[in-house]
Order: sequence, then C-alpha cells, then structure tokens
Amino acid sequence: MEGLAVIHANLDYLLWGTWPDGPLGGAALTLVLSVVSGVCSAIGGLLLGVLLTVLQGGPRQVLLLVLGFLRAIPVLMLIFWVYFLLPMLFGLNVPGLVPVVCALSLISAAYLAHAVEAGVAAIPQGQWNAGYSLGLTRWQVLQHIILPQALRMMLPSFVNQWITLIKDTSLAYVVGINELSTVASQVSNRVMIHPVPVFLFAGLVYFILCAGLSALAAWLGRSPQPQAS
Amino acid sequence: MARFFWISRFAMPLELLAPKYLVWMANGLLMTAGVAVLAIVLSTLAGFGLALARDAAHSGWRQLARGYTLVFRNTPLLIQLFFWYFAAPNLLPENAMLWLNTPHRLGLAGFTLGWPSFEFLAGTFGLTLYATAFVAEDIRSGIRGVPRGQYEAAAASGLTRWQMQRHVILPQALRHALAPLFGQYMNIVKNSSLTMGIGLAELSYTSRQVEAASFLTFQAFGIATLGYIGLIAVLDVLARHVQRRVALPVGN
Repeated sequence: MEGLAVIHANLDYLLWGTWPDGPLGGAALTLVLSVVSGVCSAIGGLLLGVLLTVLQGGPRQVLLLVLGFLRAIPVLMLIFWVYFLLPMLFGLNVPGLVPVVCALSLISAAYLAHAVEAGVAAIPQGQWNAGYSLGLTRWQVLQHIILPQALRMMLPSFVNQWITLIKDTSLAYVVGINELSTVASQVSNRVMIHPVPVFLFAGLVYFILCAGLSALAAWLGRSPQPQAS
Repeated sequence: MARFFWISRFAMPLELLAPKYLVWMANGLLMTAGVAVLAIVLSTLAGFGLALARDAAHSGWRQLARGYTLVFRNTPLLIQLFFWYFAAPNLLPENAMLWLNTPHRLGLAGFTLGWPSFEFLAGTFGLTLYATAFVAEDIRSGIRGVPRGQYEAAAASGLTRWQMQRHVILPQALRHALAPLFGQYMNIVKNSSLTMGIGLAELSYTSRQVEAASFLTFQAFGIATLGYIGLIAVLDVLARHVQRRVALPVGN
C-alpha cells in the first residue's frame, strides 16, 4: 500500500496545487478552467446559434464555414494557434491560462451553436406567429418567447458540452498549465516508481466530476417538460 | 513591438519552409494517418463486440460492458494515454516489456514492416480503447434502429442467434450507424493529436518541432492545420461515397 501513501503525501498538491501559498493548481484549477470556459462557450454558443437562425445567404455560409473549420481541427492545434496569435495581436504577453480558455471556449461554442439552432428550430411555428400577432418584433419574439422555451430543451446539451470541456482541460498540459493532468505527471515523475496509483487517482477525480455531471444531464433530460401555458 | 513585427511579417510574402522541414511535416502526417487508420479499424471491430456485450443475454457481460463504457467515456484521453505509457509497463511482467521494446520483424505478404516504437504501441492502444467506447454506442443505436419484425423474421427463417446478427441485424444496423460512425472516425483523427503528450512524432508534435527549429510559427501550424483538414475532408468524401453505395433504392 505504498501507492496509497504516495497519493496521501501528494494529496494537497494534486487537489489544489500550492494554493493558498502559491497559485491554484491541480483538480481545483481543472474545475476553474472548465467553469470559465463553460460559461464563455455557453454565451458564445448562444450568440452564434441565434446568428445561425437569423442570418441568411452569404453571411450564413461564411459563419457555417468558420464553425466547420473550428470543428474540423483538433483542440490541441487551436490551443497552439491562440497561444501564438494572441500575443501578436495584442502586443503583450498574456498569461498562459487565457489562450487555453479562449481555444476551449471557441471550439465548444462552435459545437453548441448547432445545438442552439436545432433547439430554436424545434419550437413550433405557431409560437412565432402568436408573438407577431401580439405586435412583437422578430427579435422580441426570439428573446421573450422562443429562447426561454428552447433553452430548457437545450440544457442537457450544455451540460454534456461541459463534461467534454472538463476532459479537454487536460490539454492545457501541452502549454504547461498546472492543472490536474500536468500535476499528476509531475508527481509521477518525482516519485518515479509509482505511476500506477498517481494516474489512477487523477483518472478517478476526472471520473467523479464527469460521471456526476453526466448523471445531472440525464436527470435534466428526464424531468418532464413544463407545458407552455 | 510585437504588433509591428506582426504587421511587417504579413506585409512581406511568407517565407517558405525549407524542404527539410517539409519532410518532417510529411512524416508527421503519415504517422497521424497511420495511427488513426489503425485505431479506426481496431475500434470498429472492438466496438461491435462491446455493442453486442451491452445487450447480451448474460447480465455479467452487460455489467462489464456498461462499466467499460462509463470509465472510458468519463476520463480524459490524455490521462488514459499517460496510464498506458507511463503506468502500464509497471503492471506488465518484465518479459513482456522486454518483448515489446525489442525490434521484431513483421512479415506481411512479402513486405517487412519495422517494429513500431513503444510510443506508437501505447498511443494506438490507448486511442483504440477510448474510441471503442464511443464507436460501440453508435453501433448500438444502429442496432436499436432495426425493427423488431426483422428479428422475428430471422428467427422464423430458422437462423441461429449468431447467423441472425451476422446476416440480418448487423448489416442493417451498420447502415443506420454510418453517419455517426464517420463522425467518430473524424474524432479519432483529431484525438490522435493527443499522442504527442506521450512523445509520438505525429503531426502536432512535428509542427511544434518545426516551429522550434525554424521560428516560422505561422507556416508550421498552418501546414499542420491543413493536414488535419485534409484528413477530415478525405473521411467526409469517403462517408458520402459509402452512404451512397449502401443507400436503399428510393421508393423502397
């Protein structure tokens, strides 16, 4: 049971890095990264999804092309790009966390945009007509009648995307961010002879986060749809 | 400073990568394609097994398959790759590791293939196990899309359980599952980039190498990105072609 002793000796470091004496790291940073990118991508996905339903013709094709591009390249490649382009565009050195959050949010928003579009399309045409007949504009109908109903249906997609995000934060490893995967490989390298318990423990932490959220998504999906009265 | 540098760089024609670096990138692309194709083939075969196990008559198989799916889908691929590369060698008997690390000759229909590196073995293995959990779910949804009557018709024709799956159910299930399956194959290509985390010299890895050696960041990442888009496009064309081949005649 030396393995358990290794985990025990490094538990604090694996869970929150050197915090509160140093920067936050480990599982806590994984969670923070996933929450921040989750919120950014939810907002971005909502905006892009609404754009997809509103735009027509040329602009819509351009947007589809951009979304297709984001979905066709590996997250890792996008992290490289943002990591390299951000300092050039803004002429300053941004902290390493920013490119990772940007890349994860962008890809995730590209996936959510299609879910939002589908959610809006699933609302019966009668709802639009009812809104128009009340004298509301297209934008008002979308904002007050369509989106509140569509969002309720799309909630499971948002939670599922968040699960994907938690797993994808592990890619921050390639740019040396101290989240759970990086910290686990550091501990494993330092201790040398016990990689098995270290990586099993890291896997377990991810599993608890993801499977927990997954259960939440299933529960949200199963709860009866409140009727629009 | 950096801003002016950026403008001047784009105002000038882009400097091309030296042929030496293009060779590195081409090798990386080949490695990505190789790992991806292997993982696609192996995960499809294993995915059929897992899909059948998930709906097996014996509850032991069902529980096992459920557990596998749960664990492999809810942990990051990178951690799984770390496990297979760094941790699994400690679990294997010493002889097995020795065997994996010594070069063997693989004679295949007249060709002699070099024995792959341990990075390649662990990377392909890890990617396959991860992808299997996703591929199986798509095959399973395909199986569920086959109407009940097909089972009854097959049973009435006197087919055994295995014959029924092989000749009646799975071919139809595959047709339903084709679109999502090709989606998973595209994910496999993209996910193969994570094997750079264990030091496999695939496309992402070589783009970083070329960038560090040539300082032509834009070109290095640009070529790698185009490489991935090219591979995804090939799969897309293939998907359309296969779907057209297996489509039922209209009006049937």
